[in-house]
Amino acid sequence: MRIIGPDELIFGVDDLDACRAFLVDYGLDEVDRTEGGASYHALDGTGITIRKRSDPSLPRPLPTASMLRKTIYGVEDQETLEEIAAELGKDRDIIREADGSLSCRDDLDFALGFRVTTRRKLDLPAEMINSPGAKPGRPANVLGANQDAEAKPRTLSHIVYFVPDMERLTKFYIERLKFVITDKFTNTGPFLRPQSNFDHHVLFMIQTPAYMQGLEHLAFHMQGPTELMLAGSRMVKKGYESFWGPGRHKFGSNWFWYFNSPLGTHVEYDADMDLHDGAWTERETPMSAEAAQLFLFENVEKWAPGGPPPGKQG
Amino acid sequence: MSVAQRHKAETREIAEPLCRLEDLVDGRSRGFDPLGEGRDTMFVVRRGAAVHAWRNHCPHYDRARMAWKKDEFLDPSGERIMCFAHGALFDIASGECVLGPCLGQSLTPVEIELRDGLVRVRGKYAPGFRR
Ligand code: FES
Ligand SMILES: [Fe+2]
Repeated sequence: MRIIGPDELIFGVDDLDACRAFLVDYGLDEVDRTEGGASYHALDGTGITIRKRSDPSLPRPLPTASMLRKTIYGVEDQETLEEIAAELGKDRDIIREADGSLSCRDDLDFALGFRVTTRRKLDLPAEMINSPGAKPGRPANVLGANQDAEAKPRTLSHIVYFVPDMERLTKFYIERLKFVITDKFTNTGPFLRPQSNFDHHVLFMIQTPAYMQGLEHLAFHMQGPTELMLAGSRMVKKGYESFWGPGRHKFGSNWFWYFNSPLGTHVEYDADMDLHDGAWTERETPMSAEAAQLFLFENVEKWAPGGPPPGKQG
Repeated sequence: MSVAQRHKAETREIAEPLCRLEDLVDGRSRGFDPLGEGRDTMFVVRRGAAVHAWRNHCPHYDRARMAWKKDEFLDPSGERIMCFAHGALFDIASGECVLGPCLGQSLTPVEIELRDGLVRVRGKYAPGFRR
């Protein structure tokens, strides 16, 4: 099944202004703003939509604290959409929306949507680095450290759910939507990718009690580690709360930096994730701090050797 | 402040007051970093004459920080403390989680004292930094 990945995440929130401020500062572009909400897009048009919690057009919420109201996956073409409608229509109601997309709920009651993807194909340079023995990534006189460089999320990367029955939901995504497991934390959850996406994961699950069900985090891909550090540092400077990072994960190899958000979920920057195809054999390891990160830095105030001697200032 | 200094933060009494009561906006929250760790490790919520003080640690994850932005620890209604990591809601006065991933668990209180218009931490205060 040629599913690409999450195109759009829809939230029902109480404080539109706080969410707006956060998402714009995070680096997304505001589009279609009305009284009742707006959408926030990465460079390829994937992104987040926020509406008032009480908006009657939103799917019903989970009975937990989660503000996520719908996850819309982009698929390659109409044929794939029909394939999904036929498969999921076997045991649940599928609503055909006016815009041609499909709506339903998954086996644990997360609201799902599917549409022919609206993402634009990006044609952008990778982060350029110079490495001895390799052809220079940047020609002479092109600088790598540019304080003023734009650092915008390129595309919606992945989501992570808290789920009360990881086995059941994994089965749903694998058997019904043909997702593939790339790696697995024993008793925690699997990293999954759909068939038209080579990213290590677009969906990860964490087994929890039922009252926790919801969204643990969402992430957008940045150009590379330098943009991730630039964007994250700017968030810290603006007073946003860094939760975890910056660091680099082991499974997926992606660089990460997580922030708290008024959407009641972590919003992550990620960069340089592994790609996998059918030749990959999944790995499995118990979840631990050691397994979760290759390394971790904590953001602290800036400092330089040769600055004021220790103890000079408070 | 250097990294070395920060990691030297030790449990101790806080001689300096956190602030004056009149510095606290009624109905709002504010974070404090009494040991100079480079992070707010506690916060207070003022409601009229009362000040409620809690460690900036969500019971859901080990030493998880709760605000979404500097000093923003309350849900949009201002009626609950909120952890903006996964949306847990807490009663402002009792610290009990009423909805969310740490349902039924409680925030860790900070003992404070209001005297002569000043807000002070009472007794020993432990570092809150993750390491
Ligand atoms: S860390 Fe606070 S709700 Fe999860
Ligand atoms: Fe992630």
